[in-house]
Amino acid sequence: MPSTQQISYGDGAPPKVKRRLSARQRKRNRQDILLVAPQLALFVFLVLVPLIVALPLLFSDMSRFGDTQVNYIGFDNFTRLFTDPGIASDYWSGLLKTVRFTILNYAMVFAFGLTLALLMYEVGFRGGLFTMIYLPWMISGLAVGFIAVMLFSESSGTVNLLLEKIGLIDKPFSIKSDTGTTVILPLLVGWKAAGFNMAIFLAGLMSIPKDTIEAATVDGASYSQRLTRVYFPQMVPSFVIATIFALVGSFKVFDELVAMGGLSQNDAAEFLSILFFRWGFTENKLALAMTLAVITFVPLTIISIGLQRFQRRATTYHD
Amino acid sequence: MTIDNGAGPDAAKAPAVMESDRTVVHRGVRSMHRQRRLLRIGILALIVLYVLLSVLPFYFLFVRTFVSTKDSTDLWLWIPPAEQVNMNANVGNLSVYLNLDIGDLKEQWDIPPTEYLDPRWNLNRVSEEYGVPEQTIRDTLRPHGRFNGWIVLLGNSDFWTATLRTILVAGLGIIGINVLGIMTGTGLAGLRHRFHRLIYATFLLEIVIPPFLILLPQFLLVNKIQALIPGASQPGLVRDVSQLAVIVGLYIKGGALSTMIFTSSIGAIPRELEEAAEIDGASRWQYIRHVLLPLMKVPIAGLTVIMLPFFWNDFLQPFVYLDSGNTTLQPLIQSFTGQYTTNFRIVYTGVFVSILPLVVIYFLFRKWFISGVLEGAVKG
Repeated sequence: MPSTQQISYGDGAPPKVKRRLSARQRKRNRQDILLVAPQLALFVFLVLVPLIVALPLLFSDMSRFGDTQVNYIGFDNFTRLFTDPGIASDYWSGLLKTVRFTILNYAMVFAFGLTLALLMYEVGFRGGLFTMIYLPWMISGLAVGFIAVMLFSESSGTVNLLLEKIGLIDKPFSIKSDTGTTVILPLLVGWKAAGFNMAIFLAGLMSIPKDTIEAATVDGASYSQRLTRVYFPQMVPSFVIATIFALVGSFKVFDELVAMGGLSQNDAAEFLSILFFRWGFTENKLALAMTLAVITFVPLTIISIGLQRFQRRATTYHD
Repeated sequence: MTIDNGAGPDAAKAPAVMESDRTVVHRGVRSMHRQRRLLRIGILALIVLYVLLSVLPFYFLFVRTFVSTKDSTDLWLWIPPAEQVNMNANVGNLSVYLNLDIGDLKEQWDIPPTEYLDPRWNLNRVSEEYGVPEQTIRDTLRPHGRFNGWIVLLGNSDFWTATLRTILVAGLGIIGINVLGIMTGTGLAGLRHRFHRLIYATFLLEIVIPPFLILLPQFLLVNKIQALIPGASQPGLVRDVSQLAVIVGLYIKGGALSTMIFTSSIGAIPRELEEAAEIDGASRWQYIRHVLLPLMKVPIAGLTVIMLPFFWNDFLQPFVYLDSGNTTLQPLIQSFTGQYTTNFRIVYTGVFVSILPLVVIYFLFRKWFISGVLEGAVKG
């Protein structure tokens, strides 16, 4: 279980006994540091230093990148986000859209990924079919957004035109309406991630011992009984991983929205990520944008870690 | 059941009962088999149906690269017939709706560049006034009836330079993250000392740091550093190169994934291998180059197939860090929406063409991609 054990040479060096390092070992450690240094320097400069720089700015009134005069205003940014009329309304509507999208996007993880994994499991793994299902994962988020527009734009969307021709719908879907965006975008993001999520669930299914399933079948368990009593309980790690990916991924969705006009004129695409970008880069609300990022993403990170902890405990109990 | 230890009158009956039992069971098994086979075929058909549906968006995108904005409100399930050249159309409209450069047209029609080509004139009038044969005009405009999107896109030099830049940063990103990742992995393998574990944990911090949170301060810092480079503040080669270097730096900075992959796979190499190399007089560098690297094929391939789509498809970072004249494919295509507002098929052609290289690579190396994602899923 502990991953460090797999990595270590397992030479059983007692960690607590302080020994003087031999010259050879010291040389080796120096080499190790030299080997690690280039990437570590980049990582520290591009990830950790920005994080440290960000923290004081959260409590400042910094509005633009060039600001030299910055005042510290305590928790004002946090309160403004919820109370300042001009800002709070944007924030709440962005949050609502993002949450609605997240819920539907999460549903798509199961509608596409889990369904396909269960179907594939019944017929055995097929490399060719998997290759095709995984293919949309190669498309950029921006392209997914453009494809959404191409298929569902009100006047020229191919799917709209097709469904109207067949007579299934009277009124075309509109990608620019709130409901349009929240329904259509998850559908396409689900399509893109179908193979990815399917791989997660398939890996979970394939890790179930064959004799457990056979035993259940011999005992006359129906398929739904097998699902709820055998498959799902043993797929907890898969569910947790898929949940974390969907949760964090949904809140990060950005490129798709830009392609759908999020930065220009499409109000329906103004999710929190778009709001963050506009505040930070074009509307001179730098500190406020960072506050938005903290308020949005820190809880998500905590939830993700909590879920992972829960999963680890659940699997250790099973073992 | 087969052992019959019954006695008395029942013993005589037993074989008959058993026989009928067996045939019933046999028939049942056979019908169960048939049912299962039918079910399997049905499930396979369902998956195939999904695959067909899932390929449809690509197909529709391909069709739409040929559909003019004027025709786009009609349903096209196949490439529409070529639009005929209308000699009554005026030059201005044509140049707007087909995104043609009037200077180019003049050149193709042998009109001196100094002449003013009135955009309100129709093609007949152009043909009369300048003595351009009607056939020449028709010949230059005919291909645009169908292939306008492709001709304009492939004739757009920005598209080609952006493609080259994308190949450059994605390629350097892949090389860099593997080289630096292997160095980090070699340095950390075994996590022998406390500082090894500390550095390892530092890289793993990436998992809990939201990228959006650090985007703005990162931009702030990088700008500060760039301001120190002489020549980077004005447009020019230095500025372009330094901006692209930032993108590559962001790709190769490492993090949880590459560190975990290489530290664990290098740590799993038997120690005897290194000791043997040492006894043979190899330096650590020679050991890395000749013994370790050849063993790294699988982790390198695994990391590459995971990261390549992210590098190739990256929009946000180039959008933020690169000038519009020095950009990669994704931001360029986004800028098309402002540039070709009246001719959306160019945007769709751009989207389609930008997808192609990665799709080709995906199909060529599909085994690596699939095993990469499945192994990744198993490890979580």
